[in-house]
Amino acid sequence: MKLTLKIWRQDSAAAAGRFESYSLDGAGEEFTLLEALDKLNDTLVETGQVPVAFDSDCREGICGSCGVTVDGVPHGPVANTPSCRQHLRSFADGSTVTLEPFRSGAFPVVRDLAVDRSGLDRIIEGGGYVSIDAGTATDADAHQVSHETAEAALDFAACIGCGACVAACPNGSASLFTGAKLMHLTLLPTTRQERGQRATGMTAAMDEEFGPCSVIGECVEVCPAGIPLTAIAGLNREKLRSVLRGKTS
Amino acid sequence: MSSTVRTHARRPLLSNFVCKTVMAVTGLIFSAFVLVHMLGNLKVYLGAEHFNDYAHWLREAFEPVLPYEGLLWVLRLALLASLAGHVACAALLWRRARVARGPVRRRSLPWRSFTARTMPVTGLVLLFFIIFHLLDLTTGIAPAASGAFEAATVNTSHAYENLVASFQRPLVGVFYALAMIVLGLHVAHGLWAAANDLGATGRRFRQVAVVASGVVALVIMLGNISIPIFVLLGVLK
Repeated sequence: MKLTLKIWRQDSAAAAGRFESYSLDGAGEEFTLLEALDKLNDTLVETGQVPVAFDSDCREGICGSCGVTVDGVPHGPVANTPSCRQHLRSFADGSTVTLEPFRSGAFPVVRDLAVDRSGLDRIIEGGGYVSIDAGTATDADAHQVSHETAEAALDFAACIGCGACVAACPNGSASLFTGAKLMHLTLLPTTRQERGQRATGMTAAMDEEFGPCSVIGECVEVCPAGIPLTAIAGLNREKLRSVLRGKTS
Repeated sequence: MSSTVRTHARRPLLSNFVCKTVMAVTGLIFSAFVLVHMLGNLKVYLGAEHFNDYAHWLREAFEPVLPYEGLLWVLRLALLASLAGHVACAALLWRRARVARGPVRRRSLPWRSFTARTMPVTGLVLLFFIIFHLLDLTTGIAPAASGAFEAATVNTSHAYENLVASFQRPLVGVFYALAMIVLGLHVAHGLWAAANDLGATGRRFRQVAVVASGVVALVIMLGNISIPIFVLLGVLK
């Protein structure tokens, strides 16, 4: 199939960016979006041009490295699917596809489609530590966790930290990401002890770089891990609890 | 990791959490108020005398524990304080959200998030409506109020006649109806947002909250809208 790729080109964070159009011939419907970029880059290198920079790693939707905005939607047209699992069959033959980096004030463009998402790392840092004994593995039944609780914690732990929630949010909020982290750690007995200080620390770090949540819900539409909106209520619950309780636990 | 050195911004006096909590609590106060206000408005269907008696009762309610108009002034002051908090926090959060989003706005937004995205707009329309509504049917200041406006006295109220005279002006009647649609949109998302802001994580509670937000908003909207419509149709006169 034949596609016209309108791609955001930007040399550095300080430089001004612009769109450039490239024609991509001979890509199959079964190509992923990133494979299409690979193919384009091969041609660009062959003709002595600078290839398009973009992030990717595992290419099977579990690492959270990739992420481009496709026609205004983070990751692409298929909901809850990372860029590496978006296929060209979503686009009509001969159509024009606009590729931009993830857009947010907290995600400065490094180059072309690659952005700096280290703001999310600083939220994790703000959460502090968890008091888990790192020695011999404890007995499997040392901590009693019900199946439902374990499943719920794992659902929140599924967040791969890609940052699509931030890019999807008209407010540039990282509430879904932060909520997923807080809920995941709060639900399990081993990591529950620092619940209060974690809620305070993470929300403070989050507020420094990201926007406030208006419960618009666009984040859950793009999240490749399917984190539910409950995570945001969980974030507010944990923060409210820590304020009312006034303790680190 | 980025190599840029970040300077930590000074923490604002009112954090996002404080602002959101203030908006949620004051929003719930407003929602409860407009629901009760709507139920009171429905008394218009019981006739002029009943409606005016109710309006008069609101002024002398709980006498002698409260002075004349005591209940009204308690409500007015509580609502005014809530309005100040709600609007101030909304402005702060709106500003912060724009800064956080950066220069490239989110595009390709679908209809599903329409009520959420339009909250600042519907809020501003409601603010204008509240001012108009107070000038029209509370203080009776023209041109918001109709020429036939009569203020309440210590012994009686003319609420029914004032209401009908006001809504018989077609533009005003239509404006009231439209404002109630805007109110419905604002309350529908507002109640659901308040549930999230106040940390409602339970599965059952969330299911109830999402339905209740829509139902309460719809009931308030339809109950209020019916009045200008029936006045314009000539049923209420």
